[in-house]
Amino acid sequence: MNKQGVFSLEGDRSKYPQPGADGKPEIDLSSHKYMKMWQGPNHPGITGNMSVELTVCADEVVEAKTHVGYLHRGFEKLMERRKYIQNFPLVCRIAVPEPDYNELNYATAIEKLTGIEVPEKGLWLRTLVAEMARLQGYLMWLGGMAGAVGFGTVGQWSNYLRDLILDRFEELTGARIYHIYILPGGVRNDLPEGFADRMEANLKEIEGFMKDINRVLFNNYVYKKRTVGIGYIDPAWIYPYGIVGPNARAAGSKNDVRKDSPYVKYPELDFGVNTATDSDIYTRSVLRYNELLTDVDLIRQILSKMPKEGDFIAKLPNMMNLTIPAGETYVRSECTRGEYGYYMVSDGSGYPRRVNVRGPSYTHAVALLEKMLVNANIADVAQIMVSLHTYPPEIER
Amino acid sequence: MGTTKDILSPFLVWKQFFRKPVTIKEPLKRQGADRYRGFHINDIQECIGCGTCESICENQAIDLVAVAGIDTKSGDSGLRPKVDYGRCCWCALCVDVCTTGSLKLTNVFTWVDTDPDQFRYIPGVDAKPWDNATKGYKKAASLELYPLERIPMQHLHPEERHDSFIEIIKGFSKEEALREADRCVACGICTATCPAHMGIPEYIKAIREDNVEEGLRIMYETNPLPEICGRICTHKCETVCSVGHRGDPLSIRWLKRYLADQVPASAYASVLKSDSIEKNNRKVAIIGAGPAGLSAAYYLGMMGYQITVFEKLSAAGGMMRFGIPEYRLPYDQIDKDINYILSLGVEIKYGVSVGKDITLEQLEKEYDAVFAATGLHDGRSTRIPGTNHSGVYQSIELLRKITLGEPIEVAEKIVVIGGGNVAMDITRSLARMQRQKYGKVQLIATSLETEDIMPADREEVVEAREEGAIIYPGWGPREIIVENDRIKGLKVVQCLSVFDEQKRFSPKFDESNENFFEADMVVESIGQGANLSYIPASYFEQLEKDHRGRVLVDTLTFQTKLPWLFMGGDIIEGPDVIHGIANGHKAAKGIDQYLNANREEKQ
Amino acid sequence: MFDHVISELKNLFSAGEISGTEARLRFVTLPQNQAVKAVKYLNEKQGYRHLVLLTAVDYIEQGQFQLTYLLHNPENRTDIGVRVLIDRENATMESAHTLWPTIATYQRELREMFGIQFPGSPGVDDDFILEGWRGLPPYRRDFDTKAFAESFFPQREGRGTNDPAAFMKEKLYPNE
Ligand code: SF4
Ligand code: SF4
Ligand code: SF4
Repeated sequence: MNKQGVFSLEGDRSKYPQPGADGKPEIDLSSHKYMKMWQGPNHPGITGNMSVELTVCADEVVEAKTHVGYLHRGFEKLMERRKYIQNFPLVCRIAVPEPDYNELNYATAIEKLTGIEVPEKGLWLRTLVAEMARLQGYLMWLGGMAGAVGFGTVGQWSNYLRDLILDRFEELTGARIYHIYILPGGVRNDLPEGFADRMEANLKEIEGFMKDINRVLFNNYVYKKRTVGIGYIDPAWIYPYGIVGPNARAAGSKNDVRKDSPYVKYPELDFGVNTATDSDIYTRSVLRYNELLTDVDLIRQILSKMPKEGDFIAKLPNMMNLTIPAGETYVRSECTRGEYGYYMVSDGSGYPRRVNVRGPSYTHAVALLEKMLVNANIADVAQIMVSLHTYPPEIER
Repeated sequence: MGTTKDILSPFLVWKQFFRKPVTIKEPLKRQGADRYRGFHINDIQECIGCGTCESICENQAIDLVAVAGIDTKSGDSGLRPKVDYGRCCWCALCVDVCTTGSLKLTNVFTWVDTDPDQFRYIPGVDAKPWDNATKGYKKAASLELYPLERIPMQHLHPEERHDSFIEIIKGFSKEEALREADRCVACGICTATCPAHMGIPEYIKAIREDNVEEGLRIMYETNPLPEICGRICTHKCETVCSVGHRGDPLSIRWLKRYLADQVPASAYASVLKSDSIEKNNRKVAIIGAGPAGLSAAYYLGMMGYQITVFEKLSAAGGMMRFGIPEYRLPYDQIDKDINYILSLGVEIKYGVSVGKDITLEQLEKEYDAVFAATGLHDGRSTRIPGTNHSGVYQSIELLRKITLGEPIEVAEKIVVIGGGNVAMDITRSLARMQRQKYGKVQLIATSLETEDIMPADREEVVEAREEGAIIYPGWGPREIIVENDRIKGLKVVQCLSVFDEQKRFSPKFDESNENFFEADMVVESIGQGANLSYIPASYFEQLEKDHRGRVLVDTLTFQTKLPWLFMGGDIIEGPDVIHGIANGHKAAKGIDQYLNANREEKQ
Repeated sequence: MFDHVISELKNLFSAGEISGTEARLRFVTLPQNQAVKAVKYLNEKQGYRHLVLLTAVDYIEQGQFQLTYLLHNPENRTDIGVRVLIDRENATMESAHTLWPTIATYQRELREMFGIQFPGSPGVDDDFILEGWRGLPPYRRDFDTKAFAESFFPQREGRGTNDPAAFMKEKLYPNE
């Protein structure tokens, strides 16, 4: 299925096993033609704590199986015995690098079921943290992507740039990673004095580095050789495999929750959906790079359009006694990896009956990855995986 | 692809080589942001140990522990939060919810120690280097995890009420009660302050869950007069409510009234399971059908005793009926509570005055125990010149007559002396009657105390003014001027202070600053005294008394030195209804204990 | 927006309770034997091509599991949650992996976490998150996470707390 690239090394496949009737190759380990290899859980080319069990024949993968469960904490279940407000410190941990979408979706689900309304300024601040989260998420991913192909330097730069955004998170929310900034009815605090100026300086710094990263990564013979034509996602797989976000957009999809099911203040912002068609690792990485630049612009827009005054949080009922009328809802937002969703069921008590978190990695890192790795070269496994941008904690919650 | 550019372009970034490094050289010295969520601090004087921080902490990182040097007292449990950093995730929900605002996080986040137990400490008690840190996470002013404002109580406007005795307070609707009950953080701090130690958070929870029957059951565990208390209780609990530290305290009294109002009298017996009491054959006599007597009658009745209450007047309720005007406490509500107690088989003998119609000795013989709760019904006089004029009245007598429907004199110009709730009651009653009779109010109430220390409830003073009375606090009465046997008015001098340094009653006056309030009628309302003449001297001698001659009883059982005689209510503690109820309850338990011990002895 | 599709679901698959007040989201209860057919129909004929999620809710009091298939229509941007109530005893549901290969992952997780069987679903019996777990499926309501944590993990010494009201009673009026 791999797209032929100019430099792609296509070996002789005739000696590899042919797929059987069920589409899977006959694998007889005792034939000594095959070898099992574990990619992860501790491997620099793994995005977090997961692993892929590879069955290889020579340097070609014939079967791949995703293994998760290395950091299962049972969040969804734990939430059922905590009051709604008490779950905020939990939900942020479901996608460690991007806690904010969890907070946003969870709070929005509560708001939908209770009718609590968020004031204007609160919505703007939520939009801001959503985009800040996206920006730092992409920066982190960029470092991982470069690292997977051996460009540690780019990883250092992007980590430094991400740190700048974390500094802004720290002064806005009081924490660098687990922000716990969004609460039902709004957010916990207003912008600190001088925030916009410091953010602007950071954005300039990021833009400066992005030019260099463009040179060193995307206009780089080696990077192209390792990514062009590799890790192809067929547009026909988008719905069968539940592909969302940049992975789908690089395959021609225009799906972006921010546009399709608008929330917070996105309707008032001016931005386009980044799409591409080549659908290989290179295309996906350039698409994310472009999204990153879009984010920089979006953050500027948000900070200039956001009203200076106004309530950032609604007058709340007693959160310790909050009960939610029986009902269910689904809330989605666009995170760096695509559609991020919360399905919440209330039975009328003060505790959620069920919360189900739908993270993009659930489909990307399991069914899709297992499919994509078949016939891949061992050396490409890491890039293919990183190019899907997956976070294991959202698979096993 | 594969152009020379792709080979050369990466080298362009060598210029980065000349940039200054961005590495943080000494990470342990890095300052957290101004709002950083680091280690806790707690203002230990402000904190009241309500435990709300503990209940919101999803990590169970907080324990409430006793701290040496911090005493448990009304409004402060004496406990303080201890944080276990093995569990804390620095979410600061505890800070957001803290009822007093004492708890904060500092921006200090680096701390190295080899002993893991060090990471459990009591902020504000165990000294830490960051105790004086000013930066760190504080709750934003507009963020509140529970509403601070009370749900306003609907009441009649002054012009709707100022000429009639219909009830002023309308009571919560269900929706209002649910919203008010929602504000409670269920800390339980108020329970200790309530003289009857009512299960306040528990019955408020029952309101939230819309389970009024459960709520009624909880109330009756400690208070058999909820309709009455729900209207006129002095609500000491509200003065210590945690939510009151930064906002309005819960309207505990009105919530109690709401609960009692919801359950119809006909449902009480089944809700409170009084239809299945096992009777015994022991008899207890109770003197006085006021709050203490009725409370004792209820609890003894529930235990199966045969109760006879001797009441001097023609109706039960004591001060609740004969002291408190109808616009504050309608008679049908008194009857609802009392009739329920009667339904347990309690008998009240009306119009029987112990000491006259029947003697205490007789009661001692005929009953296994006697509980005397006769209250304070003798008005005290200022004894200034002129008080023996027939146009000078005692407020308590007038109020009694109003209740009994007997005619009283209502002059065109009246002065009331006194600044307590009873003074306000007579002021507002007479104001209503003046308006009915003359179409206008000419009534002055004057008290020794200045307005800030007037003993009457604030709303009583405000509402009295709304109804047309003029309140002149801070004047001491000197003489009632009488000319030609007609009262002309009251001469007063300015009162400088009421209490001395030791908080003893010792008023000081500025005799040069005189004032004169014109009046045709004067009402004295400066307090009431007990009348214990029904206790024969031979018995009275045996009772223990304090230096002022007041009878002393066991504080737990209300037993006197005469083992069969128990005393309680206003003659012992108070004066107010809720102390009476609490006394009655304790006396009931005391009597039960005494009689059980007695029986075992006899066997 | 939903009128047509919901009336079709009623006609063709005897849809039961409809709920949801949001403009673009409805939940529809379907009989167990109709559900996968209906989901297939929504996917193929009504444009609900995107499988957002499949999950279960344990209604232990009623002895039932609710399965929710949440489907999204990328053309008109609406969602339909198909609810199916199945028996909690020997809980079994038809597999839908022929519609979306990726649903096999959801079914595998439901088998592991709730003990719901999906016969025929590829790899459904393989361990997913809980390698080696042989106890009660932990997302069932009757699995007590607190009791599990307390028995599984050592508890640290030296903790102990007080209830303010009880503590005040003990200090201020112990005998009343
Ligand atoms: S919530 Fe505040 S006042 Fe109450 S115990 Fe905790 S720190 Fe003290
Ligand atoms: S910061 Fe959060 S985790 Fe820590 S003690 Fe407070 S509520 Fe508990
Ligand atoms: S009424 Fe006030 S003091 Fe009493 S439990 Fe509720 S919040 Fe605490």
